[in-house]
Amino acid sequence: MTPRPGPELPRPTRRGLLAGGLALGASLGASMTLPGCAYIRDDVPTDAPLPPSAKAEVDGDLVYFNWADYLAPSVLKGFQREYGVKIIESNFDSMEGMYAKLAAGNQYDIVFPIAKWVVKLRQEGKLRSIDPAELRNADQVFYSGSYFNDPWYDAGSKVSVPFTVYKTGVGWRTDKVSTMTDSWKDLWNDEARGRIFTLDDQDEALAMAALILGYDVNTAKQSELDDIKDLLISQKEYLRAYSSDDINNMTSGDAWIHHMWSGDFLYLRQGLADDPTQFDFQAPSEGVPINSDAYAIPTNARHPGTAMLFIDYLLRPENAVKNMNYLYYPFPVKDALPAFAELAKDVPACNVEISDLENENVFRLLGTDEVQRRSAVWTEVKAS
Amino acid sequence: MAVQEVSQEVTPERGRRPRSAQRTSLWGWLLALPTAWMVAFFVSSMAIIVLLSFGRTTNDGYPAFATSTANYRAIWNEVYLELFLRSLTYAVATVVISALIAYPVAYTIALHGGRYKNALIAAIVVPFFASYLVRMYAWKALLSDDGLVNSGLRRSGLTDGITFLNTPYAVIGGLVYGFVVFMILPVYASLERLDTSLIEAGKDLYHGPVRTFFSVTLPATRAGLYGGVLLVFLPALGDFVSAQLLGGANTFMMGNLVQQQFAEGQNWPLGSALTVGMMAALTALMVVYLRATSTRRREA
Repeated sequence: MTPRPGPELPRPTRRGLLAGGLALGASLGASMTLPGCAYIRDDVPTDAPLPPSAKAEVDGDLVYFNWADYLAPSVLKGFQREYGVKIIESNFDSMEGMYAKLAAGNQYDIVFPIAKWVVKLRQEGKLRSIDPAELRNADQVFYSGSYFNDPWYDAGSKVSVPFTVYKTGVGWRTDKVSTMTDSWKDLWNDEARGRIFTLDDQDEALAMAALILGYDVNTAKQSELDDIKDLLISQKEYLRAYSSDDINNMTSGDAWIHHMWSGDFLYLRQGLADDPTQFDFQAPSEGVPINSDAYAIPTNARHPGTAMLFIDYLLRPENAVKNMNYLYYPFPVKDALPAFAELAKDVPACNVEISDLENENVFRLLGTDEVQRRSAVWTEVKAS
Repeated sequence: MAVQEVSQEVTPERGRRPRSAQRTSLWGWLLALPTAWMVAFFVSSMAIIVLLSFGRTTNDGYPAFATSTANYRAIWNEVYLELFLRSLTYAVATVVISALIAYPVAYTIALHGGRYKNALIAAIVVPFFASYLVRMYAWKALLSDDGLVNSGLRRSGLTDGITFLNTPYAVIGGLVYGFVVFMILPVYASLERLDTSLIEAGKDLYHGPVRTFFSVTLPATRAGLYGGVLLVFLPALGDFVSAQLLGGANTFMMGNLVQQQFAEGQNWPLGSALTVGMMAALTALMVVYLRATSTRRREA
């Protein structure tokens, strides 16, 4: 057998490899500075005209981007069955993570930003308009006089549809603690010293201290931040840890008093506890932060029509009820509200009223220097 | 540079022999992929971190390249120094405990494992295929106040329960559990290569297993130990998962600080400067460590 002549290949020299590699590295590095190509960049986006709304009609499978486990599986299944489409799910574990992926150009059909991130995404032209006329169940959230016709985070409700609303308060073990005073100062309770948790969340922790001191929850004034820092450091001797795993910390017996979210508390009490009367929740009298999540459709979504149908499907009261019974967070869907009031009837403090939404304690979108000043204080509290 | 020139001078001579030329070109091509990979993803990402450490954050929250030294001035903060010392303490404790666990385990397997050696090593390695994060969560379930361990203790009547979680001990425990395998494997490898007649000779000479261990076994397996120390120390020092899941209000580590800057803090440039600063400090420590260990090795 004669050997078959192989193709002539130039032998790469090591130096050649190195040069080629460096060029590749340099071009990657350079592309990072090109606007629009990636996350790191220099240009300042301006208020762009809003991209038009899509029609509610199937235009492909739904690429869905949400917190993990943040909708009832039965509802997701129902949508796939009814419209004959697949739901391709990805998850984020923080708003910063979600934003970084959107900013890097990843394409999703539906996202679930917290209110202040709606402001940011809308400002940067990253969200499509959503025309309520396309949604058969629009009047469930956009009825006449609804707060959501013009929420603080989306003027004229152009790019978002409300998803859930919630508040932050204090949960505690009624069998361990008997001296609660309906105040945020209960997070300094002597009975529970060493078994108190504060949420590992910059906005929530600073807001809790700000409310005690009578400051705006979004404060970035250095003198006020210094007071907040001193107050939070004084709490450390009472604390067991900073953690946002509020449900597990309570069920595991590690926490007797926990700075926590209303929906998590309701799930803990109604959905997990052997003896629900062991747990109670208060919305402290100094005021509480109110927050809301929304549905939104990114500008670069490939299947915005399916996303519109999906939003419409979730606005059906029966689906909102299913989601509430799974998540224990209230959905501001008109005909589903009585069902939530029933779910929260033993802990009315977990319910979120429209009047709560109109209060001032919402987390607004702050400027970079403000965020960094707040972060420096929060870091120092945790590190000291 | 010098190395490359030498290799180029050498290769044409080898080229006369066809077989070896083929082998060289094959190796060249096989090298291309890892080199490209390292440059594209390792070197350039390090370069971006270094560049970004002189950067700033734009008004709308994006990191941007710049030529500012503000981030480096900001890391000279005594709170950060305290954190670094705390992280260092945790990492050193992790290394010491890992070595104390690794020696008996590796020694038993290497010298008394017989035909089960490989199975025993596999039994140690396989749990590490499960994600570190998942194993930390499992620890939470085990060690919580009403968890399995504490309910067992309470039932046995020994104590009312012990607070394990959210303490420095839990953080160090998590780090040891997370990284001990990186100590066991190199120590095992050097024990495997050890000539057992040396140990027997040692027993004759020094009388007693303890003196034999310190005068014969330990010096002979130094290389494995030195490797293990680095492999455990470096990831333990930069870790943030253990402190986040098992730690308390006073166990914040350097890793948590850096992670904070890249997430909620919206300050990638400061996070990058902290990373570069930490790398510089670690490099200095490494140089001292490698100098010390190589001198000792020459003596041995």
